[in-house]
Amino acid sequence: MRIVVCVKEVLDPDAVNNYALAGHLEIGEDGKSLTQTAIPRLMNGFDEQAVEAALRLRDAGVECQIGVVSVGPDPAANIKHAAALGADQIAAVPNAGPSPDYHLVAALLAAYVRSSGGADLVLCGRQASDDDQGVVPALVCEALGIPLVTNARAVEQVGTAFRITRVTPDGDEVVEAPAPVVVTVSNELGEPRYPTAARKIAARRMKPEIISPEALSLTDEDLRPRVVAQRQFVPTVQGSCEFLSGETPAELSQALVARLRQDGLIS
Amino acid sequence: MSSKRILVCTRSESAGAPSVGAEEALTLGRRLASSLGVRLSWLVLGPLPDGGLETAGRFGVDDVDQIEDPRLDGFSPDASVEALAAYCQQESPALAIFSQTPDTRLVAPRLAGRLGAGVVMNTVDVVVGADGALEATASAYGGDTRVVYQLSGAPSYVVALSASAVSPEPAPDGPTSPECRTISPDLAAIEERVRVIEHARSEGPRLEEADVIVSGGRGLGSPENYKLIEQLAEALGGLAGASRPIVDEGWVDSSQQVGLTGKITRPTLYLAAGISGASQHMAGCSAAGTIVAINRDPDAAIFRYCRYGVVGDCLEILPELIRAARQ
Repeated sequence: MRIVVCVKEVLDPDAVNNYALAGHLEIGEDGKSLTQTAIPRLMNGFDEQAVEAALRLRDAGVECQIGVVSVGPDPAANIKHAAALGADQIAAVPNAGPSPDYHLVAALLAAYVRSSGGADLVLCGRQASDDDQGVVPALVCEALGIPLVTNARAVEQVGTAFRITRVTPDGDEVVEAPAPVVVTVSNELGEPRYPTAARKIAARRMKPEIISPEALSLTDEDLRPRVVAQRQFVPTVQGSCEFLSGETPAELSQALVARLRQDGLIS
Repeated sequence: MSSKRILVCTRSESAGAPSVGAEEALTLGRRLASSLGVRLSWLVLGPLPDGGLETAGRFGVDDVDQIEDPRLDGFSPDASVEALAAYCQQESPALAIFSQTPDTRLVAPRLAGRLGAGVVMNTVDVVVGADGALEATASAYGGDTRVVYQLSGAPSYVVALSASAVSPEPAPDGPTSPECRTISPDLAAIEERVRVIEHARSEGPRLEEADVIVSGGRGLGSPENYKLIEQLAEALGGLAGASRPIVDEGWVDSSQQVGLTGKITRPTLYLAAGISGASQHMAGCSAAGTIVAINRDPDAAIFRYCRYGVVGDCLEILPELIRAARQ
């Protein structure tokens, strides 16, 4: 069985968030990019969990080849981490431009899956922590004409099909999907494993296959940008918080409860 | 392009039930349709909500189209995408607006893929730009930033509108008198490829519907202290929620996670204890009527969103709050 995991490199979302909480998140002169060059780039967390989902299938005894592919301006660095985690093949599709239209990303990924021999299972993180859009997996599934299962916390193989436990607002749901299928993974899957020292060393010797977008024979329609980021800004949140006063925790608490009762919010 | 209408798509869960976010989507749709000088259509999958035509008139809808088919019962993504795609291929809307829900997060981008349309999720606004092309503003980085996307190059577009991004407003030009048309797409060939083996069993009341929520975060210090959140929630007649970090740590089940990738709640009262106020979390509770925070850091970001704040140690304040609430 062939599994292809699609991964994206993003700015460390926790670092971005810390800058935001401190009120220091800024947009540069191009009006689009975040200025903080100190923020590290790393593999999107949900995509790491997608790699983990693939590795768990292998651990469960499924005979599979795990390929990891990344599209981006400089994907090779990101891909090495996938190798260290345990991928059998790693591929990178360098894409000119810092933020490609995700329709193009999806077209490149679908073309890669087709041209590299197809896949029984395509795994993706549920969304990227930078744009949060989460549309690439759906666009890929439609391009390949295969079904999509979202928000998986567990993926198992049963015969030639997959049994997937999904996170839904009403709790866990279990579905069965035939191969081939695109599955997106959510953080409820749990902690991804850390690469072992031995794997990290072995990964250094793994060369990613670099595939130029031209080699993937995209149509003019695939290449035409459709949704283009024009600018990015940090929204200002106007606060008007009334801080309650009291000398002791008991006083503060009584003041708050009294106020909430007065406002009719609690009985 | 000038003759292409604006379309709002909603789905009714059960006969009569109003669709979450429908009025917000219709408000945005009316605004755009008026800016562009085109018609506003409302496509309902499933039965019309109670008072649906009246709602449609109030929000300035020009046409109501309804698709009812047993294949659309329950969550049937393949049938839904097929029905929507067939309709859009026939009617060619410039823009299809969905309310963002876990279901539309799957259906909207699949529809776009099927149609060769552009798609933007987490949308907070759509306007007509200076050059006549649509511009969609969406949140990014968990809500820390907003990105403005230009929508041009594709024949049509799909957007999913985030909950509470738009305030519902009746049509400024007064009500319309739309007619309702029933559409019957041919879904006979559709068989859902994904089969549900075990349905989710919703255990008890849902956070999304709770009127009062008390949530805890890292400021609680350790997992045992989460019981203070549960006790306070109970004392206030509400439900207990959590921020993502403590869910990831395993202190609490993921079903209680409030946030961008968890539950989007809209209670009358949201009390956050030991939560920093990261955008990712606020995305799940900023629609609350009143937000109250308890945090030891007077500069914590969460206080920017609050109506009332208490600066102090959660572990000292919460037991006192429980006591006061029980009196």
